[in-house]
Amino acid sequence: MNKMNTKNWKVILILSTSPLFIVLAIVVSVLYGVKDIGILTIWQAITHFDANNVDHNIIMTSRFPRVIAALLVGAALSVSGALMQGVTRNYLASPSIMGVNDGSAFVITLAMVFYPGLSNVQMIILSMVGSAIGAGLVFGFGSLVKNGLSPVRLAIIGTVIGTFLSSIASAVAMFFQVSQNVSVWYSSKIHTVNPDMLILSIPFIIVGLLLAVSISKSVMVASLGDETAISLGQRTKWVKIVSIISVICLTGTAVALVGKIAFVGLIIPHITRFIVGIDYRFIIPCSAVIGAVFLALCDVLSRYINFPFETPIGVVTAFIGIPFFLYLIRVKGGEQRG
Amino acid sequence: MLTLLVFILLTLVAGYFHLTNGVFDMSVMDVIKTLLRIDPDPKFDLVIFQFRLPRIIIASLVGIGLGMAGTVIQGITRNGLADPGILGINAGAGAAIVAFMFFFQMSGVTFFKESWFSILAMPLFGFVGGLAAVVIIFIFSWRNGALDMQRLILTGIAISSGFGALSLYISLKMNASDYEMAAVWSVGSIYSANWTYIIMIAPWVLILGFVMYRKSYLLNYFQLEDSSTKSLGISVEKEKLIFLLCSVGIISVCVSVSGSISFIGLMAPHIARRLVGINHRYIMLSSAVVGMFLLVISDYFAKTIFQPAELPVGIVVSIIGIPYFLYLLAKSRV
Repeated sequence: MNKMNTKNWKVILILSTSPLFIVLAIVVSVLYGVKDIGILTIWQAITHFDANNVDHNIIMTSRFPRVIAALLVGAALSVSGALMQGVTRNYLASPSIMGVNDGSAFVITLAMVFYPGLSNVQMIILSMVGSAIGAGLVFGFGSLVKNGLSPVRLAIIGTVIGTFLSSIASAVAMFFQVSQNVSVWYSSKIHTVNPDMLILSIPFIIVGLLLAVSISKSVMVASLGDETAISLGQRTKWVKIVSIISVICLTGTAVALVGKIAFVGLIIPHITRFIVGIDYRFIIPCSAVIGAVFLALCDVLSRYINFPFETPIGVVTAFIGIPFFLYLIRVKGGEQRG
Repeated sequence: MLTLLVFILLTLVAGYFHLTNGVFDMSVMDVIKTLLRIDPDPKFDLVIFQFRLPRIIIASLVGIGLGMAGTVIQGITRNGLADPGILGINAGAGAAIVAFMFFFQMSGVTFFKESWFSILAMPLFGFVGGLAAVVIIFIFSWRNGALDMQRLILTGIAISSGFGALSLYISLKMNASDYEMAAVWSVGSIYSANWTYIIMIAPWVLILGFVMYRKSYLLNYFQLEDSSTKSLGISVEKEKLIFLLCSVGIISVCVSVSGSISFIGLMAPHIARRLVGINHRYIMLSSAVVGMFLLVISDYFAKTIFQPAELPVGIVVSIIGIPYFLYLLAKSRV
């Protein structure tokens, strides 16, 4: 009980200081870059926006949308990773490894080829459809194969099917000679985020996050195993369906907004679990906060790695995420997480 | 023996299609005339000797190399799902080669055509990168004195994407022409084949291939427990190390000319095993010819399916190879 209290204390600390950290991340992200901007200018840009002032324009049309996108996407990917890990009880589950990202990119590619000139809403919805297809293929194949839902096997299946989808997508893109447009989707493009798309995606992400929070208690029960969950009177099927909808909402929107960003959905839930313990009622909101701040900081970092050029944020998350991934394989091996 | 002949024949047929079809179609007679030097037409000469023939030869050599390396890797890890590409050896070699391009060849113009230094040094760089990948794989998947199969693949996937990110990062620092070249090269393509490349990789493939073939009988013993192999008087560790170095070497030269091509090293040994049984002496040779055939035919598809646009052959191979991988995964009792 005592231990539980200290964990609760950490949760309260994380959640209560989160506005501070988020504001801090926004300020840092807006301040620094190829052109450093003074804090006073930011204030002026917000209070007295002057369309002729270059700095004001940079702030309002580039830096600000960018950091908001990073925060939203970070939260979305982390929460969908946490949901997947909880419900499947698979410590390697995450949107990028399970082919969800690739599914989105696949459908978007096809759409860009066959129905060019999609509106933003259509793009987001198609991206969600793609997430569902990717996840469906991976889990479908995983459940057909013997032992296919064990963590390591599912990760292998997910990666391979993901590669398959993106190979077909790039073949199609090359055939119709739109690979340049499409490659914008493949490499994460947080620095050129489309403000209209951003505004549109906010409700989708909020719905996804609310769904995730609303089932967080059931996810905790589910993470104890199907038998325990059933014996506690939980309708496990219902939990799975809601969490799938939430994952699709979150990941689909995130991919439509900034492209494929790997490893955030894998590592943030683990870090969060390490800090706040195994209770998903705490993991889900905390990983949203930590993921948001993490991705915003990665984005700032991506401006400096190869200054003055932008490095794709996916490269940054890969450099941070891969050692972590290897560590998980090394330490946890093939067993299912209880 | 028959299998070998059949596959060599098939490769020749594929090569024939490859030669005659393309953006510029030519008839059989034209090809034969050009090859036999009977009143040669300079236009055909150019197409055949400068573009198509080198490309076919490169595809064959790379196919042979990857097929043999795949056999070795599957043999020494005793893992039927292992493949140089899946294990990240390609990606390691690739990242090292991109780094090489960045540090030593700042101008894309003189690339390859002039400098013998770069021609000789590039595979060596690749070798170092490939070796680094192998070391990382072993560190992370070694458990209780043995390689854990599933972890092997997962580690491979992780370091592939790690080295992929590294390559992307380095290539973004390059100037535009180098970047273009690195980008085309890294997807796995044989577009820019020329005779210099052939001179560069042929000796490696032949010498290392020969060594691996001569030692291939040892792979049979490696399928047993290590302790029983040792009791036969074979120094397992030393022989495995030689195999590993040879295969990493051969992969590095292949990657340095054609970029990362996965799944040939996976498919070829399996098909070979189906055809000739379990003796690695035969598997090794058949896997080489099967690999050769697969890559030549894939490159033919890559060239023609979307004419006049070309696909990188690596993508064609993935689209064929991944369903095969999933099928093997479904069948295996790992």
